[in-house]
Amino acid sequence: MSYDANVRTFLGFKVDFWSVTTVVVLTILVVMLLLPIGSVFIVSFFDADTGQFTLANYVEVFTRNYYVKGLYNSLLVGGLGTLGACLIGVPLAFFMARYHIKGKTFISTLAILVLVSPPFIGAYAWIMMLGSNGIVTNFFKAFGIQTPTIYGAHGVILVYSLKFFPFVFLMTKTALTSVNKSFEDAAENLGCNAIERFFKITLPLVFPAVSTGAIICFVLSIADFGTPAIIGRGFRTLSTIAYSAYTSELGGTPTMAVTVSLVMMAISILALFAQRWFLAKRRYASALTNRPVVHQLEGWRNAGAHTFCFGVVIVAMLPTLVVMYTSFLQTNGPVFTGEFGLSSYQRVLSDAPEAIYNSFRFAFAAVVMIAIFSGLISYLIVRRENAISGFIDVLMMVPYLVPGVVMAIGYVTTFRTGWFDLTGTGLIIIMILFIRRLPYGVRSTTTNLRQIKSSLEEAAINLGCSPLKAFIKVTVPLIMPGLVVGSLMSFITAINELSSTLILYVSGTVTMPVKIYISVLDGEFGLAAALSTILLVCSGLCVYVVFKLADDRESSFL
Amino acid sequence: MSSVEITNIRKSYGAVLALSEINVQIDSGSFYTLLGPSGCGKTTLLRTIAGFHFQDSGTIKIDGRSIEQLPAHKRQVGMVFQDYAVFPHLSVRENVAFGLKQQKVERSKIEPAVNEALRMTQMESFAERMPHELSGGQQQRVGLARAFAVDPTVMLMDEPLSNLDAKLRVDLRAELRRIQQDMGMTTIYVTHDQEEALAMSDTVCVMYGGVIQQAASPVEIYKNPSNRFVANFVGTNNFLKASHDASGNVTLGGAKIADGINHSDTNSGLVAAIRPEDISVMDSNQEPNGDKISLSASVRRVSFIGREAEVVAVTEKGDEVKSTVHPTTEILSLSEGSAITLAFDRALTHVFVESDTGRRLT
Repeated sequence: MSYDANVRTFLGFKVDFWSVTTVVVLTILVVMLLLPIGSVFIVSFFDADTGQFTLANYVEVFTRNYYVKGLYNSLLVGGLGTLGACLIGVPLAFFMARYHIKGKTFISTLAILVLVSPPFIGAYAWIMMLGSNGIVTNFFKAFGIQTPTIYGAHGVILVYSLKFFPFVFLMTKTALTSVNKSFEDAAENLGCNAIERFFKITLPLVFPAVSTGAIICFVLSIADFGTPAIIGRGFRTLSTIAYSAYTSELGGTPTMAVTVSLVMMAISILALFAQRWFLAKRRYASALTNRPVVHQLEGWRNAGAHTFCFGVVIVAMLPTLVVMYTSFLQTNGPVFTGEFGLSSYQRVLSDAPEAIYNSFRFAFAAVVMIAIFSGLISYLIVRRENAISGFIDVLMMVPYLVPGVVMAIGYVTTFRTGWFDLTGTGLIIIMILFIRRLPYGVRSTTTNLRQIKSSLEEAAINLGCSPLKAFIKVTVPLIMPGLVVGSLMSFITAINELSSTLILYVSGTVTMPVKIYISVLDGEFGLAAALSTILLVCSGLCVYVVFKLADDRESSFL
Repeated sequence: MSSVEITNIRKSYGAVLALSEINVQIDSGSFYTLLGPSGCGKTTLLRTIAGFHFQDSGTIKIDGRSIEQLPAHKRQVGMVFQDYAVFPHLSVRENVAFGLKQQKVERSKIEPAVNEALRMTQMESFAERMPHELSGGQQQRVGLARAFAVDPTVMLMDEPLSNLDAKLRVDLRAELRRIQQDMGMTTIYVTHDQEEALAMSDTVCVMYGGVIQQAASPVEIYKNPSNRFVANFVGTNNFLKASHDASGNVTLGGAKIADGINHSDTNSGLVAAIRPEDISVMDSNQEPNGDKISLSASVRRVSFIGREAEVVAVTEKGDEVKSTVHPTTEILSLSEGSAITLAFDRALTHVFVESDTGRRLT
């Protein structure tokens, strides 16, 4: 039998389902990811008025005090926020991984809920507690005590520390549970006491994980727009500068917004490369012969560890609780009357039903696409190892690094042309949610697929299935858990998206986070709280399902 | 170096007794091996000496000084780990210097001590490498050098060679023994590999079920096992059901192999143990010469394994007997069912009580 006769070729390449898929995926990534970023990149090199090639935009960012100050502020809150997250996350991980702490599941769950709640809700809740008319502020004012203000850099740093520490915590905890115990035994045998052992051996060994968590914190802090916008009060970071530049340049070419955003992105990328470079020499693969032992602490140490663990997650959760509490306070217009009631929710139904509808519609549509493409892309990455799938794998890192503002401006410049204009449609929002959250789905599915032996698909093909049929009948059912968990993670992050949708929305495509942001700015705290609560409950439900489905529930959230 | 005296060490995990009244006396400079199957308590005992486990009761003395209440980092005992435990974030040199720095040894003295330890283990040329650039065998040399460098009172080794491949294991074992003897370093060595134990040790201590079964020289352990467990675990052995009568005579296949045995327990029988290499295989019509015991048997299989042939036969009473003999043409031509006579020395036969750890009677 002539086998080769059945193989179709095109320009000398073998054509089968997977080569076609590779081309489709690559095309989509080029159009929806690289093109918008590229167009933003180009805009930044041209003069807004004359259309001439210039480096003046960058020169301006690095020389004009307004921008330099923003750059400095971004690095300040990003750096210190990350440091704060590490100072909270690392000890928490250590206590949770190495000692018996009662209510570990509760602590982990709260940490993850903190992770999935949008940061600007936290910022706004801190205002409700420590702002000029906050609960705590007023409480102390009654005794004549002046509490420190939450507004400004230190407020932003506080919010980032308490918001992003779960990344460091989850990463470090996983690493701590897999450090070979013999290393620590050897250190002890060579004369280290517990503290020396931690700083000389354990911490260096988990440093790769700590730094990975820290980089996530840093990238998210730099890109975060909501927190400095709400709590900054004149404290400007690059992301707030970019947004106000965009709104003031509206109609014209958003040159300065784009340039500032690209500087922001460059910082994230530099930080990531620095970390990669640093870690390249520090890969400690370890054969797991000896798992660490979980100890019982005694007396005050035990009490101290418990206080710290519970204290941290409860304080971090406090803003969310305040928001939920506030949503049940009766309002009269924007004014709280001091009684309990459901008027805020009535306002949601009368003023913002389309925000809820839109949020679900967009997130759901994006996630369906994410699920389909996650399956296909992870198969390409894991099973078809070649230059193109390697490139796709690298591209999957890009959305993590590109701030929402950059992506959104790129979408506006790319998809508003003479022939067609997608701006103002729901489609453009679905597209941007899809591309920004695709990596979550791909990562979860890829991890799952790597654990499945390729011999299973080979067996199906050997038994007569075509590659496509083998994928659908064998691979898809096996990667379903990863696919579902990845999709849920994408859903949680998509429904909470603010930075890109804030630029792309029009009145017909307003989403919950956008509506919350606008409400906060308008002083409509009741409405904002009720919408936030709805958002949080959705996220919480998704977290619950992930917990039910995932084997390693905590690392699903990274 | 230092002597070690372990008295009445006891350790339990809940209801499971891991170590039961362990008493060990180790002379200064000797190589003492704890040998036993997994779960026998050998590693627990070693880690208790190192301070990683805490005994329920009992004392551990090094040169007469009690250390059993000290935390692990203050015991000054060297340890070599099964999985090397070479710190992956430190270079070879930094690993070896780690313990010295920890002891706040003067900077000027660290360098020569590190170099000496690296020289001993032939790792000088690798001093600046990182652990991931080393093979398993090299990593274990670093582990060894690191433990030497601090000049410990006693060296503890937890199956240090078990993760290496067979050839390297044999080479490194000879080298380890040489270094140990050169330095006169008191060593407690844990292994489940009996060949390793016999080849390296001054004293082999066979453990089973958290109890020391026998502690003696390798030859003594092999030739005169004190109970059936030791006879079975160390080397290969045949156990043949023996009969005894009220007057204390023990017989095997009609031939008397011992007398004057005082074994009144009627619940358990007796077994005679004879090693495969002590059995000769003869034609069924041949009579053994001298004071030998002979048993008629039929061949089950003959395997040629190079230097020798292994003959497995079944006696008339149904016991399976393995013997290793010179692979002559006659032996190799035996086929299944051939009638043969198995002959062995009365003096090389030991009688044990039939239980797992039944004591030796002759």
